[in-house]
Parts: sequence; C-alpha cells; structure tokens
Amino acid sequence: MTRSVLRYADAVADSQAPVPDYSEDGVDLTLIRWMLSLTPAERLQFLEERNEEIRAIRELNAGR
Amino acid sequence: MQEGKLIAALRQLCESEVQFILVGGLAAVLNGAPIQTFDVDLVYSREPANIDRLLAVLRSLDAVFRMQPDRRLRPDRSHLAGGGHLNLLTSFGPLDLLGTIGENLAFADLLSHSREMDVGQGIHVRVLNLDTLISIKEQLGSEKDLAVLPILRRTLSETRKKKHM
Repeated sequence: MTRSVLRYADAVADSQAPVPDYSEDGVDLTLIRWMLSLTPAERLQFLEERNEEIRAIRELNAGR
Repeated sequence: MQEGKLIAALRQLCESEVQFILVGGLAAVLNGAPIQTFDVDLVYSREPANIDRLLAVLRSLDAVFRMQPDRRLRPDRSHLAGGGHLNLLTSFGPLDLLGTIGENLAFADLLSHSREMDVGQGIHVRVLNLDTLISIKEQLGSEKDLAVLPILRRTLSETRKKKHM
C-alpha cells in the first residue's frame, strides 16, 4: 500500500485550489480521493486485508 | 502472499467461465467507494449452460443456504433457474447469487451498465457501474441501502471530477 499512499499524497500536493475534506452531508472526501487513487486490484487487496483483520479481532474476542 | 477469500471466489468463477456481473458492496468498492463488505453479490446469466457451470463451481465451493447452514441445504438447478436471491455460505465466505436486481433487471439488461475490471492476479471480472448501483439502491430504498447512498453519490461525483482534471 505504500506506493499508493504516496501516489495520493502527490496528487493532493499537486492540486492548486483548496479542496474540502468533507462533503456537506458529512462524507469524508479524503477517503474517497484516496480510494480513487488506487487501482481496482489495490482496492480489492485493501478490502481483503481489512476483512482479515476484522476476522482476527472477532476470533480473539470470541475466545475470551 | 496468501490469496484472499474474495479473490479466491472470483478466481473460481472466472476460471470456470461463469458469466456474471458483480453488484452490491464489492462492486461499490471496486468502483472506489470506501465501504466495508464481507460478501460477494453477483447477478448471473440464467442461460442453461451458464447454470451448469455455476452449479459446478458451487459444488466445488461447498455452497449451502445461509439461512440454516446446519441443515446443509444445497442449491440446485431449479433454484438457479428461478431468478430469485440465493444467500449462500461457501468455503470462501458468503456468496449472494441474484437472478435479477432492482426492477427485474437480469444479466443481459445490466451488461451495458457494467465494465470489465482487472482485480489482480490475472482475474478480470465485469462490475456494475456506480450510476446504476446508485439508481438500484435508490429504488430499493431499504435503510441499509439508504445508509450507503451518500458515500456512493460522493464517490461518483469525485470520480467525474477526477476524469475532468
């Protein structure tokens, strides 16, 4: 993910006008812009990684 | 790196040449929406040959109906031909098979509203576009669908801005 994080940082740094971080209805636009800086394959990989982490946390809690 | 469950399920479907379009949360993520989802939702072609291929994949994935997993009820040809929603549990996690979505939209109706995406590891899948996904969720209007709509709409507007940059 490091490469894609840097790609997003470059894109933001290159932008001329200030852009809002949140929409009027409270959606985090920075998160959307970061997702859009990834390829579909990277988006899927990120989702899989988060899902695995959530599963691991659930299993740890189930054992308590 | 170990292959994730979602991509493993997609690989099985693609290698078996099942005709399908990804919809739902996974389609939203692949289109760039920052949401979390745990299942694979897809609309499949109900052509008899495709149903045969899909049934073979379901057998290899040990698919059973999720409603009562302990009973180990398996989907058969009549279930797949029926065009309803089949909520299954497989060895790769939850898999929802949809004959139609929205206002009775089937695989053939959705084809022109989808595009092929490279999801990594040599796998290419057809994914419903964000415009159509939003329209369908607006039609459905359930609380679950309405909750995610602001994120989908903003993702669509940011995608359009990005294209014009």
